[in-house]
Amino acid sequence: MSCHKAFKEIKEKTNLTIALAGNPNVGKSCVFNQLTGLSVVTANYPGKTVEINMGVTTHDGLKIGIIDLPGTYAISAVSDDQWVARRGVLEEQPDVVVVVVDASNLQRNLYIVLQFLELGFPVIVALNLVDYAAKIGLKIDHEKLSKILGVPVVPTVAVRGEGIDELIHAVVDLTQGKLKMERPKITYGRDVETAIETLTEDINETFQEKPYNLPARALAIQLLEGDAEFIDIIRKGQQPQRQKRHRWRGRRPNGDKILQLSAELSREIENRHGEPVGIRIARERHGLTGTIADAVQTKLEQPPLLSEKLKHYTVAPYTGIPLMVLALLGVFALIFYVGGLLSQLVDGFWGSFVSPSIGGLIFSLIRNETLARVILWGVDAGILAWLSVGVPYILTFYIVLSLLEDSGYLNSIAFLMDNIMHKLGLHGRAIIPILTGAGCNVPAIMGTRVLTTKRERILASTLIVLVPCSARTAVILGAVAYLIGWKYAILIYIIEVGLIGLVGWGLHRLLPGESSGLVMEMFPLRRPSVLATIKKTWNRFKDFAFVAFPIVIIGSLGVGALFETGYLWAIVNPMSPLVQGFLGLPAVAGICLILGILRKELTLQLLVALAIVQYGSSASNLLIFMTPLQLFVFALVVTIYIPCVATVAVLGKELGWRNALFIMAFTIILALVIGGIAYRVGPYLGL
Amino acid sequence: MESTVSSEAEEYLEEIYRQEKKTGFAKTMELARQLKVVPGSVTNTIEGLERRGLVIHEPYRGIKLTEKGRKIALNVLRKHRLAERLLTDILHLNWSEAHDAACKLEHAIAPDIIKPLEKTLGHPKTCPHGNPIPTKGGGIIEEKSELLTDLKPGEGGIIVKITEERRDMLQYLASLGLMPGTSIEIEEKAPFNGPIMVKARGASYALGHDVASVIWVKKP
Repeated sequence: MSCHKAFKEIKEKTNLTIALAGNPNVGKSCVFNQLTGLSVVTANYPGKTVEINMGVTTHDGLKIGIIDLPGTYAISAVSDDQWVARRGVLEEQPDVVVVVVDASNLQRNLYIVLQFLELGFPVIVALNLVDYAAKIGLKIDHEKLSKILGVPVVPTVAVRGEGIDELIHAVVDLTQGKLKMERPKITYGRDVETAIETLTEDINETFQEKPYNLPARALAIQLLEGDAEFIDIIRKGQQPQRQKRHRWRGRRPNGDKILQLSAELSREIENRHGEPVGIRIARERHGLTGTIADAVQTKLEQPPLLSEKLKHYTVAPYTGIPLMVLALLGVFALIFYVGGLLSQLVDGFWGSFVSPSIGGLIFSLIRNETLARVILWGVDAGILAWLSVGVPYILTFYIVLSLLEDSGYLNSIAFLMDNIMHKLGLHGRAIIPILTGAGCNVPAIMGTRVLTTKRERILASTLIVLVPCSARTAVILGAVAYLIGWKYAILIYIIEVGLIGLVGWGLHRLLPGESSGLVMEMFPLRRPSVLATIKKTWNRFKDFAFVAFPIVIIGSLGVGALFETGYLWAIVNPMSPLVQGFLGLPAVAGICLILGILRKELTLQLLVALAIVQYGSSASNLLIFMTPLQLFVFALVVTIYIPCVATVAVLGKELGWRNALFIMAFTIILALVIGGIAYRVGPYLGL
Repeated sequence: MESTVSSEAEEYLEEIYRQEKKTGFAKTMELARQLKVVPGSVTNTIEGLERRGLVIHEPYRGIKLTEKGRKIALNVLRKHRLAERLLTDILHLNWSEAHDAACKLEHAIAPDIIKPLEKTLGHPKTCPHGNPIPTKGGGIIEEKSELLTDLKPGEGGIIVKITEERRDMLQYLASLGLMPGTSIEIEEKAPFNGPIMVKARGASYALGHDVASVIWVKKP
């Protein structure tokens, strides 16, 4: 859903709205989860991957809408997450902005609080993690902090739900005008302040209505900081898109003059201080937050915590790398085995209980046998495909991912892997989704949300599609390792790894844009909360469940219709020069490849079934039906070509259909090229 | 050797020196902005300076001074900073006004005036803003700094400059408090030119190698 629409809906059905803001990993989503139920709406701005979550809570008969902004260190427009957070509050105009602050690092956390105050929003500070701060010897006088900032400050331990009631109380009191607080003005150094004042005056003269109803002073600071978005708004002398409808009263204001003045003032300050105004202002804000933090906190010396030492071991090369290898193997094994086990259970249950009754029901309801069969493809095979991929693999993965993220260990892995992933144009964080791909591509592609830019997500998703998932592993093992020897199965994996490296390297050079440099906070290791894990997993899983379901069913119905009506042969015949001539496979393999789009392991099952139809039951040993070389090429093509329908559904949802189609076309071509080469080179490899 | 270039060229060389010190290269657009001229005329002037062997223009990277150009630039800078001293110490102008006035005055200071001027001002070492005044021979005491990537775990220092050109990245680092003047300590280095983990302002950050290699620090 688009943010604009979601905002409108939430405003309509609630009495007041609050926005949750704050640095990453300060327990903001914990606060959100404590306040809201399971019905969370996720929305995003077109073209941005960062999402905003929204939920509703009731307090004293008041319906309160809660908007969970992405965690950011500041609200400028220098990164996607900051852009989304800022646009979120500007557009939504919440009644209160609750800034969740990490009590153990007050200085940096207050930075964004100052920014919100500057923008003129009513602010409440949730002083979170006070328990952790106490553990490291920090005591914070929250009443003094409240007085200095001129906003209510509520100490919380969101993981345990402490202080949440007080927080919501403060929100209601503030909006009903029960809390009167004097807000001290935030002032900068003399040079900067003079520039701000000069510019503020000019803006007030020129603009009667301010964009987003911001105070002129806030606009002046944005312009001096060189904020591209606001410069654009002022230049056009027009309201930002959403407010376009109410035009300027009277003459269109001339923004050029203001921009000229702002550039002139910026240049002067830059010459005097030897640094851009944006940096100068940031420096002064940090100075201010440092002074405030010093004034309200007392620090007792404490021995370093166990978690601090542990963190050290996770990033120091000699201990960190073995630990990481173990952890990654553990994740892989968990998804492979637990996912595989659950998948078998689902398959078994479905095959022996649900499938027969669905079959019986449909055949008794629908007289037309062909139609009944087609529908059976959709509701039987289709739902099973969705269930046996979705539930076991995706749920398992999301639980693991959530634990890795919330414990802070994901960042340690990212730190150690960054160098290697960098060669492929990715960050260290991309290693988790890519490895997950070996279990199932679907959650892996959804897991690329841990990456920040669209470019990185496209790159990572393309690579993930090339990672042989458990279904493809079944084909490789069944057709190659079992029938022609494990050496050739390993060869397929080597080819895959080589392809992933090559494709990553090539795409990194071809895709426009450059990889952004890594700047990532390394959080202290924390114990993840059960509630947060469950909610996070559910919210992510919900997306897959509802989005992929119709696509998988429609895809299954489509393939089923082609098969049952016999039109499939009409497609297979023109394909035969390619399948038979170029890849050297039997023509029927073409059908397997097409049906394999539904589920990759179907390719092998169908191949056996078709072989039996043609050669009798002895052909269940495929070697009677195909040569080792043909089996090798077949398995190789199956591993590379077009991802399964569930993966395609997710690709389309996450990256847009254009990119999904591109990846599909790319993998088909790649599979044909590699298969064709293998068919011609294979004989020299003893096949 | 004294400069034999026009005052316009002097202005250019001085500004190129400033930008080069800040970001490693001077850029056409930035020169146009600072010197208040159109980019087209910057390109022309730079071509002229390049023909005279005063600057090198590397395509897609920027403009750098040659040894000859650097000498002239430092000489202009010396006159600029002495002029600033003159304006603030003797004529009692504001610091803020001194810079722009000195930009005009510097070109009018003939070589034979420098010596008596220096003497009258009491041989100042720095300009009113605290920047060092180059000596007669073109020597300048620049702060000695090292790349963050050259430090070992456990070592640290104060950030003196960040030679990053993308404004967004600079602003992002600044929002975390990673800016000149901040003290920073290396906690861990990933092997094979991997990222570097640093501690600054009470928090730990992993910085990719490419980010860390534009941060210059001065060891205590």
